[in-house]
Amino acid sequence: MDIEVAEERDADALVLLPVGRLDSANARAFEAIVMERIGAGEQRVVVDFSRLNFISSSGMRVLLLAAKQLHASKGTLVLCSMQDHIHEVFRISGFDQIIPIRDSREAAVAGN
Amino acid sequence: MADELQVSIPGRLSEVDVVARRVEEFGDAHGLPLPKVYVINLALDELITNVVSYGFGGVPEPEIRITLRREGDALVLIVEDNGQPFDPTREVPTDVTSPLAERPVGGLGLHLVKNFADRLSYEFADGRNRVIVEHDLASASA
Repeated sequence: MDIEVAEERDADALVLLPVGRLDSANARAFEAIVMERIGAGEQRVVVDFSRLNFISSSGMRVLLLAAKQLHASKGTLVLCSMQDHIHEVFRISGFDQIIPIRDSREAAVAGN
Repeated sequence: MADELQVSIPGRLSEVDVVARRVEEFGDAHGLPLPKVYVINLALDELITNVVSYGFGGVPEPEIRITLRREGDALVLIVEDNGQPFDPTREVPTDVTSPLAERPVGGLGLHLVKNFADRLSYEFADGRNRVIVEHDLASASA
């Protein structure tokens, strides 16, 4: 299953905006896109959740992989603009302790 | 819309979307808060992923049956499958504290289901796994 991911350049960060659902059916497609960009040399990646209304552990797994990959190459992954119920999932998973989450895109791009 | 949602799907991950839409429609029809609809769909994604990934080896016609209904102030989700017996309620340690470089990848799904559910039970009968996930509509957590 495919996933629509908008991509924007903001200062020196690549901003990815997955649209709709990031679930077990399309997480692999999202993983392919994110890892391709990191492999191509992106060092500052922001995933903006403003157009995402669902994520499951399959989608979170991709973000963890991306964060690890960027961490290993001294890059950064920052997440932003999450709805409250999605933020709660990141808190319960302890992901909020290892991947920075910002309220706004501006803060995510500026505060890497 | 009927007071109970029943969906039967073949055992494939691509079916998760179909179920999610039906749950959203059920939520709209019954005025359920969005965070509740989210945790129901989260539980479904995690449970379906689990059985499709690990439970259907050697099963000729994998099938998952989903039932969602409101019972008083609780939402009751029942997920049944004809895969290998697997008890998702058993305790499995989940690492949610180690630093990024050491954090294991995977194993979060059932942790999330357990944490959001107000009650979770499991039985294996007549060749079927049956997982019952209950969420109180009044509870504070999502």
